Order: sequence, then structure tokens, then C-alpha cells
Amino acid sequence: MGLVTRKNLLAIMGLCAMVGLLLLPIVMALPSPATGEEAPAADGAKKEGEKVEKGRDVYYKTEGIVSGAPAPKTVDGPRDYPRYNFESRVLLWFANQQHLYYGSFVLAVPIFCMIIEFMGVVTKDKALAKRYDQLAYDFIKISLTAYSLTAVLGGILIFTFLTLYPAFFGYLSGIFRPVMHIYALIFLAESGTLYIYYYGWDKMKEGFLKWIHLSMSVVLNIIGTLLMFLANSWIGFMMSPAGVDEQGRFLGNIWHVIHTALWNPLNLHRILGNMAFGGGVVAAYAAYKFLASKTDEDRAHYDWMGYIAMALGVAFLIPLPFAGYWLMREVYAYRQQMGITLMGGLLAWLFIIQATMIGILFLSTNYYLWQAMGRMRGAEKYQRYIKYLVFLLACGYIVFITPHTMVMTPAELKAMGGQQHPVLGNYGVMSAKNGGINVIITTTILSFVWYMRGNKVSTVSWAKFGNIFMGVFFACAYINIIGLAVYGYYIPANVRVGLSVPQVATTLSCLFFMFALNSVMMKGAKQLGPIEWGKISARSQYALIMLATAFTWMMGLMGYIRSSVRLFWHVNEIMRDNSPWAYTHTVGFAANMISFNVLFFWVSILFVFWVGSLATKKAPVEAKVGVPGAVPQPAGSH
Amino acid sequence: MSALNNPVVAVIISIIVAVGYFAMVDHYLMDMQGLDFWYLLRG
Repeated sequence: MGLVTRKNLLAIMGLCAMVGLLLLPIVMALPSPATGEEAPAADGAKKEGEKVEKGRDVYYKTEGIVSGAPAPKTVDGPRDYPRYNFESRVLLWFANQQHLYYGSFVLAVPIFCMIIEFMGVVTKDKALAKRYDQLAYDFIKISLTAYSLTAVLGGILIFTFLTLYPAFFGYLSGIFRPVMHIYALIFLAESGTLYIYYYGWDKMKEGFLKWIHLSMSVVLNIIGTLLMFLANSWIGFMMSPAGVDEQGRFLGNIWHVIHTALWNPLNLHRILGNMAFGGGVVAAYAAYKFLASKTDEDRAHYDWMGYIAMALGVAFLIPLPFAGYWLMREVYAYRQQMGITLMGGLLAWLFIIQATMIGILFLSTNYYLWQAMGRMRGAEKYQRYIKYLVFLLACGYIVFITPHTMVMTPAELKAMGGQQHPVLGNYGVMSAKNGGINVIITTTILSFVWYMRGNKVSTVSWAKFGNIFMGVFFACAYINIIGLAVYGYYIPANVRVGLSVPQVATTLSCLFFMFALNSVMMKGAKQLGPIEWGKISARSQYALIMLATAFTWMMGLMGYIRSSVRLFWHVNEIMRDNSPWAYTHTVGFAANMISFNVLFFWVSILFVFWVGSLATKKAPVEAKVGVPGAVPQPAGSH
Repeated sequence: MSALNNPVVAVIISIIVAVGYFAMVDHYLMDMQGLDFWYLLRG
């Protein structure tokens, strides 16, 4: 008893230490020794009578005391832009992208762990709870090896900045000086918490201690999210600076510098993107292990792992386009020209590629779900309807990827009678594209609903009504989405722009109401047979790998788009990029570079997985728990 | 409950609920943005 109490006490102390680590940066920030606020006051005391210079915030339009140096006016030369015999921007692009890939992965996976560990704690079925716990442990194990590499890549990134862009990095770190040490401390807190969380797994696996362990994962994720928000504030500042005057001089309010026009949309977009990406990578890992498995037991385990990772990833993928819309809306609100450059100008073709990738993500997800229905007895009844879903997805996809104008030779231009195709050109507008993507997402939701009820028959007394209602609701949702898209052609642009909101609301209504209704209907449902984990086609696993690769490629693409929209500015309208590389690359070059980054990431993460597997072989933490395929699956397992 | 499970009744009620719901969604979400969903009909 005494031992248990001591253990509990130690666990609580561990949790308190984590909370302390979380609060440490805030406490450190309170005296604000690095803000530079004291410096002018001290100077003021020395030079009495000297006028304090004030500046006007470029975004908030408030006045503040000038507390920093103006943005340097750089010139092309070894002082501001030292270089190797290579394009510095490409080197930085590579370092940045790799750090971001790994950073996203190690921030997303602990969130998955938290969710899965929580599912394990609240699940009444002990065997299933143990499986969830093992799965969460497997996830964090993968993340831990990647974590070290993330830190190394972060170091490489800083050295790349210092070596190749010293003037710019000096300016940026000068502006963010008040929070630089906070970032470092949060990183320290993240590392400490992660290691305590990982190494404390076995010691805190039951009862009260398990709850403490789960609480640690919450603290870990809060720290990770704060870390990401701070990093986002730098890119937010570069795109939409605030807290400085028109010369780029810091005006003493660090919150203004952090809380720029695009910070919150970027935060939301990135957190959802990271989660979707993390899910994709873990799903691909599981798919790889599934394909390489020698036993049915292993196949069952990795099939289940792949499904859970995919489901979590897609759960965050579905709202991702809506977060993207919000970000774009804020970009337009901040600088209309920036929005036009992105979506209607120089970078518009990259958005067509992005649309193609988004479509591939949803097509892969749907394909996986249809294949996954093959491991359920009773799901055959849906097979004959899948062709209609394919039709809906294909139509939505084709409309979604149709460009507004085509890149053509003069002869082609003449033959077509203009840049816009007389028929297809009509689908290259936002009204049609909003309809297209919402049809795709609604169809994915429908596939999920079918999957969730694949091997079950509802036993509630109103089952017939429930089924008819769901069918009618989905049909009306499709009619509403497509109807709004068509309606958009007949009304002025200023009214049309608002139609995207009810379209999104229609899709989300299907997501929330139909999932909720389906769950109620399937409570206590009759099972037609178990889910036979592991008995799934190899094609489905390639779909998971496709999903992960598409995520990775799209992240690289969107990062490039977001970064290159600044055109020839290091900090938009504040600090000009005077290096020889202040131009926008061709679409082909960018695509090759993104592909190289994707390839490098996947090769390196395969190495990480291999290292992880070595550790498992040498020191198994725990005997493998009963794998899902070995016993019939309970209803709650999906 | 048995009346609800009659397919004809179920379809009619479902259509009324779904159409009413989506019409409300369209109207109010446009209205919240200061826009008129019924613009074309008023023209």
C-alpha cells in the first residue's frame, strides 16, 4: 500500500513537474528582461530631455515607442548573402521542408497517442483496452526516434539561416527577441515531457497512475501546440507583419508581432494539416509492415493499426479544406493583391495541382474504405452501390481540378477561340469548384457511414425510418450542394461569394448529424460477423501508401505556395529580398524540388522506422498483446 | 413508431425535414453574411 502511495506521489510530482515546465516559459517572460523596454527608459534617464521617437504600427495602426532597429536594406554580396556555389534559397528550402515534415510528424503523433490512450482507458472491454494501449505505445515509439531527428534538423535549419541569410535572420531574431528564449524553453519542456511520458509508460499502466499518465499526454500536447503556434508567428509575421512601423522598427508590443492577421488561420490550418499528415505517415508505416508481415497475427495487427491511423488522419483531413478557405479569406482581407497572386495570378496553377492532390487524397480514402468492407461479412450489400459513389467522386473531382484558363501555344489559343474553353471553362470558377469539393467530401462521409455499419443490422424499433431518413438527408444534401453551385452562376459575384458558407454547412451537417444518427442506430446492433482483420487486399495497403505520399507532396506544395506569395520580400512590404534568387521558380522546378523533398523524407523516415524496429527486437517492452485478428472483434473496435 | 416505419410516411417526413433544414441553412447563413439568398427570386 505504502509502495502504491509512493508511486502515486511520484507520478503526481512528475505531472506537476510537467505543468511546471509548461509554465516555466511564461514565468520567465514576466520580468521581460529581453524586451528592450527597459533600455529606452534607462537611456531616457541618461539623456533627459531627448525626445522619445514614436512609430505607427503598420497593421494595428496604433502608436508605440520605437524599440528596435529598422529592417536592414540588404545588398547582393557576401555580407548580406554569403553563398556556396549553389542557390542558397534551394538549400534553405530543403532544410526548412525536412524540419517541417519531421516537426509536423512529432507534434501530430502524440495527439494520436493521447486519443488512443484515452480510448483504451475508457473502453470497458479489457482485451480491446490493452490493444489500444499497445497501439498508443507503438505510435509514441515511432515518434520518439523521429523527435531526435527533428531537433537535429532544427539545428541545421538555424545554421543554414545564419550562414546564408545572416542579415534577414538577424532582423527576424531581433524582432522576436522577447520570445526567443521562451521558444527554447518550450522546446526543452517538450523534450522533458516526452521522455517522462515515454519512459513512464510501463510504470504507470494501471488505475490512478494511468490517469496521471494520460494527463501527462495532455500537458505534452499543450506544450507541442504552443511550440507550433510560436513558430507559426514567424511565418505569419513574414507574410503579414504587425507590431512594427513602416521601416520595420519594433514598437515594443510583442503580442502585436505574434498576433498578426494570418496567425490564427495559419495555426488552425497547420494543426489540422499536421494531424492529417501524421495519420498518413503512421498508416503508411502500418501498410508497409502489413505487406512485409509473415504471419496472420502480424497482418491482423498492422491492418488494424493502419485503419485507426487512416481514420484519425481523415477525421482531420475533412475539415482541412474549410480551414484553408478561412486562411485564403483572411489573406484576401489582409491584402487583396496577395490573394489574387495566390489564386488568380502567378501561383494559380499550383492551386490546380493542389486540387488534384486533394482529390487524390479523398479518392484513396474512399478506395481504402471500399476495400476494407471486404473484411466484413454483411458489407456485400453495399458493393453494388459503390459504382454510384465512384461516379459522384469522379464528377466532383473533374470539376474540382478544371482550370479557369489554359496555358497554350498561340495556335492552340486561336483554335479554341480564347484562353477559356467554351464548355470546360465554365467549371474553372469557384462556384463550381466549391460544389465539386463538397460533393467529394460528402461522398467520403457516406463511405464512412457505410463502412461503420458494414457488418451490422440496426435493432432499434425505428430502424426503417432511420435508414430512409439518412438516405433522404444525403440525397437532399447533394441536391443542395450542387444546386448552390449552379445558383452561383445566376447571381452577382458579391452574393455568390457567400454561397460557400451554406455549402460547407451542408457537408458538415452530413458529417455530424449522420455520424450521430448512425451511432445511435448501431448501438446494440446485431452483428452479421466479425471484422476479419488482416483479410484485406494488398491494394488497400497501397492506397494507404498513396494517401501518405499525397499528404507529404501536398504539404510541400502548400508550404512553397505560402512562402513564395511574398514574391521579392523577406518580410512583406518591410524587408526586401535583394538576393539573386528573389524571383518565383517555374512550376516544373518547384514540382521537382517538392518531389525531391518528399523522396528524401520518405527514405529518411524509413531509416527511422528501421532503427525503431531494431530497438523492438533487442528489448521488447511487453509481450505482444492479443492481436485483433486472432479473436472476433467487438462492435466498438471501429 | 409503426407509422414512421411505413416507407411512404418515412419518405414524406424525411423530405419535409431535410428540405426545411437545408432551406433554413441556406437562408440564415447567407443572412448572417448580410446577403440575400433569395436574390434571384426577388429580381
